[in-house]
Amino acid sequence: MIARAVPQPAPSADEMLLKIVGLSKVYKGGGPPVHAVRGVSLSLEPGQFVAVMGPSGSGKSSLLHMLGGLEPPTTGQIWFDGARVDGLSQARWAMLRRRNIGFVFQFFNLVSNMTVADNVELPALMSGATRRQAKERRIELLAELGLSDKASASPARLSGGEQQRVALARALANRPSLLLADEPTGNLDSLNSADVLRVLCRVHGQGQTIILVTHDARAASMADRVVNLFDGMIIDDMDVVTPIRPSVAAAGVLRLGE
Amino acid sequence: MRAALRWIRSDLRARPFQVAVEMLVVGGVLTALLLSVTVLEGATNPWAGLFAQSRGAQIWMRLAPGTKVSGLRQIGGVTAIAGPYSTTAATIVQGPLQSAVELRAMTPAMPQIGRLLVRQGSWLAPSAPGGVVLEASFAQAIHCRVGSELVINGIDGPTAKVRVIGIAATSDQGFYPDQTPGLAWVQLPLLRRIEPIARHTEEVVGIRIANSADTSFVAQQAVAELTGAVRSVSTWTQVEQSMARGDPLLGLLLALFGLVALGGAVLVIASATGGRVLVQLEELATLKTLGFTPGQITAMVVAEHAGVGLAGASLGVVATRYLTVPLLHGIPASIVPAVVPLPATWIVLMACSAEFLVVLAAAFPGWRAGRVSAVVAVRRPLPAGHLSQLARVVMLSRFPPAIVLGARAAFIRRLPAALTIGGLAMSMAVITIGLGVASTVDDVQRHPANIGLAAALTVSPGELSQAQAGAIVSGDRQVLSAYPSVQVNALLATGTTTITTLGLGTSARPYPFHVAQGSLYHAPGQAVASQGLLDLLHLKVGELVPMQINGVPVIFRIVGRIVEPEYSGQVLAYGLDTLSQAGVVSPPVYYSLVLRPGVTVSAARRHLLAVSGGRLDVTEVNDPASQLGIIRPMLAGLIAVLALVGLVSVLTASSVGIRDQLRDVGALRAIGLTPRQVMVSMVSSTTALAVIAIATGATAGFMVSTRLINLGAQVYGIGSGIGRPPSAPAMAAAILIAAAGATLTAILPARRVVATPVATMLGP
Repeated sequence: MIARAVPQPAPSADEMLLKIVGLSKVYKGGGPPVHAVRGVSLSLEPGQFVAVMGPSGSGKSSLLHMLGGLEPPTTGQIWFDGARVDGLSQARWAMLRRRNIGFVFQFFNLVSNMTVADNVELPALMSGATRRQAKERRIELLAELGLSDKASASPARLSGGEQQRVALARALANRPSLLLADEPTGNLDSLNSADVLRVLCRVHGQGQTIILVTHDARAASMADRVVNLFDGMIIDDMDVVTPIRPSVAAAGVLRLGE
Repeated sequence: MRAALRWIRSDLRARPFQVAVEMLVVGGVLTALLLSVTVLEGATNPWAGLFAQSRGAQIWMRLAPGTKVSGLRQIGGVTAIAGPYSTTAATIVQGPLQSAVELRAMTPAMPQIGRLLVRQGSWLAPSAPGGVVLEASFAQAIHCRVGSELVINGIDGPTAKVRVIGIAATSDQGFYPDQTPGLAWVQLPLLRRIEPIARHTEEVVGIRIANSADTSFVAQQAVAELTGAVRSVSTWTQVEQSMARGDPLLGLLLALFGLVALGGAVLVIASATGGRVLVQLEELATLKTLGFTPGQITAMVVAEHAGVGLAGASLGVVATRYLTVPLLHGIPASIVPAVVPLPATWIVLMACSAEFLVVLAAAFPGWRAGRVSAVVAVRRPLPAGHLSQLARVVMLSRFPPAIVLGARAAFIRRLPAALTIGGLAMSMAVITIGLGVASTVDDVQRHPANIGLAAALTVSPGELSQAQAGAIVSGDRQVLSAYPSVQVNALLATGTTTITTLGLGTSARPYPFHVAQGSLYHAPGQAVASQGLLDLLHLKVGELVPMQINGVPVIFRIVGRIVEPEYSGQVLAYGLDTLSQAGVVSPPVYYSLVLRPGVTVSAARRHLLAVSGGRLDVTEVNDPASQLGIIRPMLAGLIAVLALVGLVSVLTASSVGIRDQLRDVGALRAIGLTPRQVMVSMVSSTTALAVIAIATGATAGFMVSTRLINLGAQVYGIGSGIGRPPSAPAMAAAILIAAAGATLTAILPARRVVATPVATMLGP
């Protein structure tokens, strides 16, 4: 794999799905303030697959949380689809997430009291779909992810890989414009990791924009672009130039997994 | 909306036991409240109940014999007519005593309107033509029961020997002796025998109308319809007034009960909701990452508990509907003459209030749930804690480490620990107060003298002279002491208020009041008063109060305060010599008798009647303490509800604790704790909180119990001084049962944890 550094482009806000300017996050909790993210600027075109890498404590997760509105930035701007969103209220952010942003976490975070089917239908129901529409979308997603026979199972009965695929299905239920994945393979064995990466590649191939926070170089290699963070700052932002088409990559991973 | 409903559904399914307990608490409290109100209503305003049960008539008219009443049915608003029944005045003779009675002729077939509610024995029967059924309050006043033989004298001389075959309640007329003469029902031939002359009888007819508000209008029309034949008219408002009575002691305790039950319900919902939110922090945060707004999460949490509350309230309404009659059946009619289900509007109103309180109680935890940070979902903050110096020392001293670790774990999360201790301590404190009420009731029943009821009997000279009566009562071996007594009304100096005053004993030998403050009267002009009177006149002990008795001005110095449950506590008592010295013409004197210990009231009464040849008038003192028996089942209900509250607190605490400690427990097992040690550790975690709460609650309850009861009594005019602390055995039992219950409750969830494989606990 050959990577090269590229100068920061200056695209107009209209073309960008996501644009962040001078974003920083300072945690103040009793002791000295912790600067988790220091003035990060980044732009993301629709359809891009960005991997964010860096050692523990480099601010990857904090950055992702701010991008999804889970916590507010201390300073800086976030533009989503041409609109500034960093100052939105919690409720506005919730509505934005509901329709436009899907989340996948390291520990899956499925609602344990609900069946797999309920978990996947939840976002569709929340955004006002009828019960039938939600069910159709769920059947489609679970079939695509090979989980059709698990629909009525409780999440606790599934393997880690299966749980993460359910979490992916849930994140994709409303066809979000942005998928944020926080170490989705961090808690999985290599076989299951491959499964999840294959799904990510496939949806990227269908045009899904993805930001993937990961420690895993192999996971990062699926991305179009790799951003390296250190001490809350971008030290490296590279396009992955190896002309691997996403579909080919997916096929490759498929083979890997088999 | 759909998403929220689906989440609520799965959450309810995931914890059926908790949901059931929550429903039971709401339902139980509502049932208890509704039953309390039913009893209170039945006790203080019995007319409505009697009227409903007897399908009574609102208007009763006395008519000249032979009056045609068919025209009454044509009057607008009249739904039915009771009677006409022949009626005549007569006298019941029991030895030397004569009581005026109204005989009313009825048939063995019970009428549809104005039914009689047979309390004891049976109704008139063709097989017992000489049988008589007495009205309940009248029967009590003249000491008659089923089987008593009576002689009834007609006005013009005919006499009949009759037998009491039944005792019945009615809504036709007020209680004896507020309303005289007494009422007795006989069959027509017997009435004819006692009063053969038809024109000496009257006809009584009852009119039932659709709307009680039209009573006076319909009564006027009825009088016009029967012009000339109407001798008198009475309406339900008069009957209701004569039956209504205050019952401060019962009312006070019922009110206390209701408030405590309500508080308990609010507490348990708040605690259950709060605990649930704590257990679900991560899932709520996950819902936020999926796009639930804070408002939606708050609404969802509140709606879930409101739904459970609504189900509980419905359960309570249904339970009340079916339990009212069987549960309250055992209450003596002398306390609650009629138990009648409350009107539907009251029930709905109270159920709505209960539901409102549930929503209120869930609101704060719900608001907190809405504010859960979405980052919790991914951060999984583990509560920080460290092994305290104390814990190290205890562990080094060979104390089982499992207990130390468990107890320590209980306090890692400060807020939940405080909530649990608070909830449980509150229940325990109220249970302790309940025990205090129970021991106060015990004390009042065992030592009635403490609430001014030293005397068990009063004796009027009857046919004897005062001297003869005095000689008999003071010579009786069963009587410890006899105090000459008078009851006179006094007009206050302001000229607008009349109060009841009692001359009891003399200054040299005062009646043995229980003095709560100051001293008894030992000189003419001194008096003791009860709290109600002091409040009414804005007086303090030691002050002077001028009044007029029988037109003579008398000035009393109040030297002490007594505890007095009767007359709404508005009583002044003094020595009889005060009256003679002031020149007041003394009203007839009766004697208040204090019996020797061990002598029963009825035995003493029988003996006095026998000695005097039945010529003394001996009356049992109305003992408010006898009505307090009803408190016991209510206290038991209250304690059951509070125990449920405690149960929910403990369950909440252990599920919050387990959620927190799961990883720790995994680690501890990994380093070699046996499953049993893990179990002990988890249980001691909850038990540690419970023990602290129980100790705190019991101490606080013990400290405030007596003061609270006295305060309540003071507010009601009885006066401070009746309160007693809970008894030591009851306290010990309550504490032990509570601690054991908490431990047993904590075992259930702990067993589940022990059954979980270690690897699962250590994983995500």
